[in-house]
Amino acid sequence: MTGRRTGRPLVPAYLSTGGVARPARACLERLTVLTGTGEPAPPALPAAQHALLDMLGDGSLTVVEAAALLELPVSAIRVLADELLGRGLILSRPPVPVAELPEPDLLKRVADGLRALKH
Amino acid sequence: MIEIPDVVLGCLSAGTLAALVLGGGLWRSRRRGARQSAELTALNAALDGAREEADAARAQRDAARAESAAARAETLTAEALTAEVAHLARQRVPATATHAAHPHVRVPGPLDDAVAGTPLGDALDEVQAAVLTATAQERKRVDAAARAGMRGATRDIQAGLYRLQDVLRGLQEKYDDPELAQVLFALDHENEQSLRRAQVTAVVCGAWVGLAREESHLVEAVTGGQSRLVGYHRVKVHHHLEPGTALVSHAVEPVAIIVAELLDNALRHSAPDTDVVVNLERVPSGVAVTVDDYGVGMAADERARAQRMVAGTEAILLSELGDPPRMGLAAIGQLTRRFDLSVDLSSPSPYGGVRAVLLIRNHLLSHIDPVEQPPAASTPRSTRTAAAPAAAATPVNGHSHASSAADPTAPDAGARTHGTARPAGSAPASVPASGTRGAGTGPVEDAGARSTATAGTEPSTAATPDADPRDTAGTGDPLGSGDPNDPGPHDSGNPDEDTLPQRRRRARGRATAATATAPPARTPEESAAALGALQAGTAAARSEADSEGNDPR
Repeated sequence: MTGRRTGRPLVPAYLSTGGVARPARACLERLTVLTGTGEPAPPALPAAQHALLDMLGDGSLTVVEAAALLELPVSAIRVLADELLGRGLILSRPPVPVAELPEPDLLKRVADGLRALKH
Repeated sequence: MIEIPDVVLGCLSAGTLAALVLGGGLWRSRRRGARQSAELTALNAALDGAREEADAARAQRDAARAESAAARAETLTAEALTAEVAHLARQRVPATATHAAHPHVRVPGPLDDAVAGTPLGDALDEVQAAVLTATAQERKRVDAAARAGMRGATRDIQAGLYRLQDVLRGLQEKYDDPELAQVLFALDHENEQSLRRAQVTAVVCGAWVGLAREESHLVEAVTGGQSRLVGYHRVKVHHHLEPGTALVSHAVEPVAIIVAELLDNALRHSAPDTDVVVNLERVPSGVAVTVDDYGVGMAADERARAQRMVAGTEAILLSELGDPPRMGLAAIGQLTRRFDLSVDLSSPSPYGGVRAVLLIRNHLLSHIDPVEQPPAASTPRSTRTAAAPAAAATPVNGHSHASSAADPTAPDAGARTHGTARPAGSAPASVPASGTRGAGTGPVEDAGARSTATAGTEPSTAATPDADPRDTAGTGDPLGSGDPNDPGPHDSGNPDEDTLPQRRRRARGRATAATATAPPARTPEESAAALGALQAGTAAARSEADSEGNDPR
């Protein structure tokens, strides 16, 4: 995909948020899924927010994925996403909790039952 | 009657008498002339004698005068030479030494004006000149020693700060607790500022910039310079260059340093509630980075001095930089000289403040594919967006204008659907041909790539590339997020949108995102229908197998 640079980055991460690392609203989780609403970006949108919005225009991304693609720390993406949420330009969905797996014993018994049916 | 002999006799006697008288007169006059000439000769002789006498007297007098002058000079040397030398030692030499550092100090002349021009005066002047030379040499030597010491120290500090930066950035990646991240951001910024000071000092002291960078986007170098300052919030960068305009590797760090120093000056000398505006513009000889502030500006002599400093033509002495030393302009001067950059401060800003123009010539510029290697996310995006590879191959002026006009309103909402929606065949005939041919090929590739990626969910899109663009656009959106900005087929008069440099990348990102994380494009009803069909099919196959009596195993 994009050529990752090997050298020392010229632009530090704090510039993307103007030095802010505390989101104004609730803290987004690392696996929170962000989705663009398709609203056009206002012209005065800060560059980094614009970049994130563009990235989400292609579909949904989790916070960590966006951080990796934009080569920014997760904390910066949180702030940027928080701003965009505040402007109503993106939607967020909390991560899907890991489903509770059924007991292995139960599965075994079901499998045994199925095999018994076939015979 | 008159007797004739008497008459004759009378006449004769009268004539004789007259002759006698005349003869006597003549003789007398001749005698007088002789006497006069004799007198004349005597007078001449007397005159000559007098003249000789006068000459002799004059010679005597001159000799006497010379004797007396010599005598007086001897007496002057004895008294005045001491005074003259004392004057030299107490007044003139110190003044000369001071004059070397402060040219406005007046150097007094000799005590006695009469000495000037004499061998004595010349000798005294030579002493003064020798003192001047020795002072200048010593200053240079001391300055070079000071610079060498500072260079060594700052180089070590700089290296240490780079290591610190690495650690801080590693921590930023690793820990994302907001409170901790806030502290890390603050530390990173502090570190950048210290780094900048150390680096500038090292550069002024004649060191290398201290960091090898790879070829980078010009806008990254500018924003990188911006990030090193306290008031970076006040800097507004307007990027009017073609996307992908880059700097060759050895020019990256110098440009970042120069921009940082120019911005620092601008921020310092303008009110804290005003902006500092940076414009990146293409000029025939390269790229101009213009820094304007809304400050009070500089007086003409200040500006002239600053211009001399940034031109880098004069050698820099640390002792001339003031206390505390103002390193910024001196560092710019060093860098412009070494890297063939030029900085102009000579014209006043139309806003009343200072206008600084950094000119980066063409041989220091290069190009980076903005799609393959986009600039950092925090860099302002270009106002020109026409530089997609296809469009770049056939640069048409109209292109850039059209697309730059389209840019602000099209952050790209529509582009996503366009790729699939508009096959090459549907490119509108109303568009001038030459430019659009190349531009039109971009989306086709995209469409192909995307259709393979999304074929599972959208068979209709992949299967009917020639379908009505409007329909395809409708179904081609896997998220079903009815795109209000999607202009549909009528917007196809502007083919440049398809050639936006970000598009291809987004298309790819979306392809992966759509398959990996995007919710499926089906409604629950569709899903239910699909699953129902699957179940029905399975049931039908099973019943058939049962009827044949085959064991499924």
